[in-house]
Amino acid sequence: MEAINHKYLRVLVTGASGFIGRKLCLSLAETGHDVVALCRDTEHPFLIRHRNIHFVKGDILEVKSLAKAMKGCAQVYHTAAMAKMWCKNETDFYDVNVTGTANVLSCALKSGVDRVVHTSTCGVWGPTLNLPVSENDPRAVGFPISYERTKYLAELEVKAFVQKGLDVVIVNPSRVYGDGPITDSNTVSKMVTGYIGGTWHFIPGDGKAIANYAFVDDVVEGHIAAMQHGRNGERYILGGEDVSFNGFFNTLKQITGKKRSLYKIPVSIIKAYSMLEFLKNRLFKLTPFFLPEFADRLKCNQQYCSNKAIAELNYRITPFAVGLGKTVNHFQRN
Amino acid sequence: MKQLTALITGASEGLGKSFAIEWAQRGLNLVLVALPNSGLDYLANYLRVNFNAKVFCIEIDLTESTSANQIFEQLKVMEIEINVLINNAGLGNWSWFEDKNTDFYRTQIELNITNTVLLTRLFLNHIDKAKASYILNVGSLGGHFIVPKKQVYGATKSFIGYFTRCLQLELSGTNVHISLLSPGGINTKPELLVMNHTLKGFAKATILEADYVAKTAIDGMFKGKKEIIPGFANRFLVLLDKIIPTFLKEIIIRRKLRTILTA
Repeated sequence: MEAINHKYLRVLVTGASGFIGRKLCLSLAETGHDVVALCRDTEHPFLIRHRNIHFVKGDILEVKSLAKAMKGCAQVYHTAAMAKMWCKNETDFYDVNVTGTANVLSCALKSGVDRVVHTSTCGVWGPTLNLPVSENDPRAVGFPISYERTKYLAELEVKAFVQKGLDVVIVNPSRVYGDGPITDSNTVSKMVTGYIGGTWHFIPGDGKAIANYAFVDDVVEGHIAAMQHGRNGERYILGGEDVSFNGFFNTLKQITGKKRSLYKIPVSIIKAYSMLEFLKNRLFKLTPFFLPEFADRLKCNQQYCSNKAIAELNYRITPFAVGLGKTVNHFQRN
Repeated sequence: MKQLTALITGASEGLGKSFAIEWAQRGLNLVLVALPNSGLDYLANYLRVNFNAKVFCIEIDLTESTSANQIFEQLKVMEIEINVLINNAGLGNWSWFEDKNTDFYRTQIELNITNTVLLTRLFLNHIDKAKASYILNVGSLGGHFIVPKKQVYGATKSFIGYFTRCLQLELSGTNVHISLLSPGGINTKPELLVMNHTLKGFAKATILEADYVAKTAIDGMFKGKKEIIPGFANRFLVLLDKIIPTFLKEIIIRRKLRTILTA
């Protein structure tokens, strides 16, 4: 039934090679959508091939290519972003995340798109001071992390376009994990594959810092549900379970059956190391492995509450152990 | 310290929001003042739920002539006694004098100067002078220096500096402790978030996060500091200002101005 409803409904997905975007394309294609996948490189190895997915070469920073790709699309999923920890060119964060978003929205307004789902992040709230954060809570601290700052500014662009009459729903995934490529923007994949391969040996601080882990399949479903049932101009946290580093590695131990010796490294030492990385980057223009603003964050909890999405979007959370099991299976097969 | 209740103006965003969070985290109670429809209720709820703080909200436009009186009347009706006043609400600008109209400057002066003076005056009537009470006036490092494109803003903050220092003399030996906060740049409004992150070197080091400024300011206020200048780079600037001769400063500012004019 679902497949018939969506047949020939043309949708644009930006960021088609991204961790969320690639699986979103597949899910939309499988349910009968006619998916236009915008990518800078149509031969990118992370792209998933499907007969309902048409790869279009383009860039959210090139308005012409964007307008061409969006032609005839009823819906737009804007998942493209600069999600790295560090860019050689610092302005890339602003260009891609803010200007890029403004380009997508302006194009959607001009071409009469019915609805845009904008992929934001729980990083717009950042650390939690006490209880898990929900949508109406304020951000409690500053924005030293470029990704979080520019994603917040991107949300302001969305608000401005909603005022202009565009229908946009914002979704805010937390730390996304699952089967997918191992990239700079996905820390969980690095931890899991490192643990399996025996190259990951440390737990930051006392291991009690809690983060929220969202399974990629849930996040993809959440995007599609936001397109169907979300309210215009609203934000929806798409999260998962709150898990500490200790809990994370214990679950990993149980799933893999592998016992690795992990060393707890005090955050102060990580911070000192990150300062060296910062200097290395400043003095020699070398890619830093870790930066001070991220070391500071290791002390904080990042807990998020998905109740709004559960109530309004019928969002479902895969239990962490189940999701991590699927992730481990994926990496062990490949 | 448990019984302390602070009234914070301009509490919905920026430094005011950070003051509110810092204050609630210390287990103290709050009266938040901000414009209507500025999301004050969300912030208040967040503070109540997360920190079990008693939080009251007053939504009012502080540039209206009767607003200071209305605030204290409302406190009376609600039977709330405040013992800390944080005069934080303010309006900045970064523009040539002729680029803004008269309405803008009137609003700026009403908010930054008139409102601070009136609230302070009414606060001194309101408090029980037998108990310790505190006033924290938010000035600016710009009040110390002559900064082009900040002509009226800087002047209002100089006013706050003079006003605060003078009251410190008048109120010395009483239970009323009054502090001046002179922050440099703070990452608050979206425009500033963008602009401040294009800065490099020493200029970047003068920019601070609002949560850090709020924490430093409240610590300083309780210690009875007369002037609080958060950040090492900013304290260094003020020190330089004191030791560099005037004619040299003029040259530096003019050279800076030339680069701004040609930009």
